[in-house]
Amino acid sequence: MPHCTNLFFVLCCKVHSNHHEVHYYDFHIVYSASYRVPVLYFRGYDSDGLPLQLNEIEKDLPACSAKVLLESKWTFITQEEHPYFNRPWYKLHPCGTSEWMKLLFLDEAVLAESKVAIELHLVSWFSVVGQVIGLRVPIEMVNGRIN
Amino acid sequence: MAKQDQSGGYILQFAPFQSFVDEGFWHRLSSLKLNKLGIDDSPIPVTGFYAPCSHSQVSNHFTLLSESLPSNESEQCSVPAIPRSNRNRCSVPGILYNTNTLEAYHALDKKSLLKEEAKKIWEDIHTGKAVEDSAVLSRFLLISFADLKKWSFQYWFAFPALVFDPPATVVGLKPASQWFTLEEADSVSAACNDWRNSNLTADIPFFLVCIASNSHATIRHLKDWETCQGYGQKVLFGFYDPCHFPNNPGWPLRNFLALICSRWNLKTVHFLCYRENRGFADLGLSLVGEAVITVPQGWRDLLRVPNAVGWELNKGRHISRVINLAKSMDPTMLAISAADLNLKLMRWRALPSLKLDKVSSTKCLLLGAGTLGCQVARMLMAWGVRKITLLDHGRVAMSNPVRQSLYTLDNCLNGGDFKAMAAVKSLKEIFPAMEAEGVVMAIPMPGHPVSSQEEESMLEDCRRLHELVDSHDAVFILTDTKESRWLPALLCANANKITITAALGFDSFLVMRHGPRPLNSTHDLKAEPENALSADMDSLAMADSGAERLGCYFCSDVVAPTDSTADRTLDQQCTVTRPGLAPIASSLAVELFVDILHHPNGIFADCEIADSSNSGSSEQPLGILPHQIRGSLHEFSQTTLVGHASNCTACCSTVVTEYRKRGKEFLLQAINHPSYLEDLTGLTEFIYNETDDNDDDDDFVKL
Repeated sequence: MPHCTNLFFVLCCKVHSNHHEVHYYDFHIVYSASYRVPVLYFRGYDSDGLPLQLNEIEKDLPACSAKVLLESKWTFITQEEHPYFNRPWYKLHPCGTSEWMKLLFLDEAVLAESKVAIELHLVSWFSVVGQVIGLRVPIEMVNGRIN
Repeated sequence: MAKQDQSGGYILQFAPFQSFVDEGFWHRLSSLKLNKLGIDDSPIPVTGFYAPCSHSQVSNHFTLLSESLPSNESEQCSVPAIPRSNRNRCSVPGILYNTNTLEAYHALDKKSLLKEEAKKIWEDIHTGKAVEDSAVLSRFLLISFADLKKWSFQYWFAFPALVFDPPATVVGLKPASQWFTLEEADSVSAACNDWRNSNLTADIPFFLVCIASNSHATIRHLKDWETCQGYGQKVLFGFYDPCHFPNNPGWPLRNFLALICSRWNLKTVHFLCYRENRGFADLGLSLVGEAVITVPQGWRDLLRVPNAVGWELNKGRHISRVINLAKSMDPTMLAISAADLNLKLMRWRALPSLKLDKVSSTKCLLLGAGTLGCQVARMLMAWGVRKITLLDHGRVAMSNPVRQSLYTLDNCLNGGDFKAMAAVKSLKEIFPAMEAEGVVMAIPMPGHPVSSQEEESMLEDCRRLHELVDSHDAVFILTDTKESRWLPALLCANANKITITAALGFDSFLVMRHGPRPLNSTHDLKAEPENALSADMDSLAMADSGAERLGCYFCSDVVAPTDSTADRTLDQQCTVTRPGLAPIASSLAVELFVDILHHPNGIFADCEIADSSNSGSSEQPLGILPHQIRGSLHEFSQTTLVGHASNCTACCSTVVTEYRKRGKEFLLQAINHPSYLEDLTGLTEFIYNETDDNDDDDDFVKL
């Protein structure tokens, strides 16, 4: 199990599924020291607290996300113990992350302002990863930085 | 739904707390119960958490997490450290009654338990503790029964609320933004945000909102009530409201009003239901209302505890809730889903055409539970095969565990466990979902003749082996002598089963797949009509591939298998090999097996040799499917070879037909007289012809 240190961010959201059932999701972004990238952990559960299985979670994803998950060679879901809670969570496997992150930062102008690049790192990372789970980066998060 | 009374106000109706239990809480409770509490069912202090509503469409829940319970390491269960609260979770004290049986759960006196907790709240109000530590106003009660075999949990929450009789009424409940002036609203928002952002106050769920005549708002602790009086200030009683309803305040207001009424003797109370959006005060979502209270008789009297309500409804009904967490808590189920997910990943990422279901449902028979058998079993398990039968007549010896990966020292004690049974046990310990069986039996071998008393049991063993081969889909011949491979090879050819042989030398190995059954063997007296049809299909398959039948382990043999173990030195008797060899051969054997399962022609597949013209153009995603792999550690080399079927002693049609025709008599002859097989297959003549050229002696006689 990768040795993780920092819990960056916690996000919760709610999904109205069919039949008036409500599903709740927790998303955690954890830094993986062994892959040296942020990793998205998530889990879903219903209103009784019963954890959702992967096939149920996939049904909650918007159609375009499900497509990204299936077709992109850089994103796939595994199940692993959450580094802090030691309960089984799902995560987007990080092995491809550094590869596609490099592509995002190929722009020399960005590299020149290295401070900005680091701040933008998480937002850029999330702009790709978020597509898989159907979450988008609010435009305000990006606009404030660019100036 | 709201009832109007004569004063024009509506009966104040509160939205109940909605409880939510994170599965981590049940996990910790199970652990506590198993490791520490045992049958002790005294009440356990627990901590609940809630926060102001943060979304206009969803109420915030009253939550229990794993931190709600004391951890196993704490010294005393009765005095837990209060878990840290923050702006997203105010901690609330509560009590848990977890029973030992379902009957005891249903027999709990809910009325008196509720009354007892209500009494605590009442006392906290009267002693002033509720003013100092206002979270105690939302004190709660939880009853549960944890079935730790089925991982199911019955539970029921109660949020005791002291009842006003006659009930309080509300006048003018509206969004806060409509109640305050614009200036006041801005000031209140700012003050609330400060309160929420400070570590000292973020988790204090009840407070005073004081608005001066110049519209400036401040948030104060409840204990500062006296100092807020006068100066023309408006004072509202604010509280974190988890509820999102636009027409109802949340449950915490009930006991808050009880506190206000009995401490400060107010009959009209302005209250603020504080709610948020994205971490900031939302005065459109928040509500302000005026409550009109008639102080009930006897509320001065500490000893007369008012009635209380508060058992949580389950989807509108007065019944308990239940949750089953086997899938996420039962270690066996977790192991199964993790292993499955891992295999599926191979399919998603690298080989979408992997037939994992086919692999996992193939029933494998492993003849031999030694170095090869243990490793093959583990590799099969890694590929998802669930049904494995191991056959071996030996016991685990002291020298075995280092090389035979399913055994430990414990298996060697007291004479040694039977290998087949120890292997099965070990497989299940590694992966509980394995359906593994052990058969303790020796394989009858030609060249090891049996006495007439032993004939019966030997034939029984043959029959048993025949049945085992028939009832499995693939057979791995992993024994340690050549002659012990004969009967299995014959039976596999007879039954047309996928057969993989692995054999070790000191630093070299052979891994091969046997060819399919001989074509002509089906034309015999006892043949069923279906056999004829399948024989035709076999011929078609062979014809299609345009190939000769591939051979078995014995097809390149010139002599019949005989006793190879007599008159040998110790190191020749037990196969002494370089330790790395068995794992290499075993791994190749399993990968070859998986390849066969994926080949469209299966057992009939022609051989493919690794050469430069083949590489990269292979049609099968898993690569080429060779017939034989021979490797040497001496040169770290490996080659693929082909050997076509011959008139061998095990798989040729003569032998198979003879077996089918004469069964027991055939077996007795073959086992007691190994030259019988040579005669039958004409090997004798072959040898005779071969040697005759060089022999001048006319009297040469060969048995």
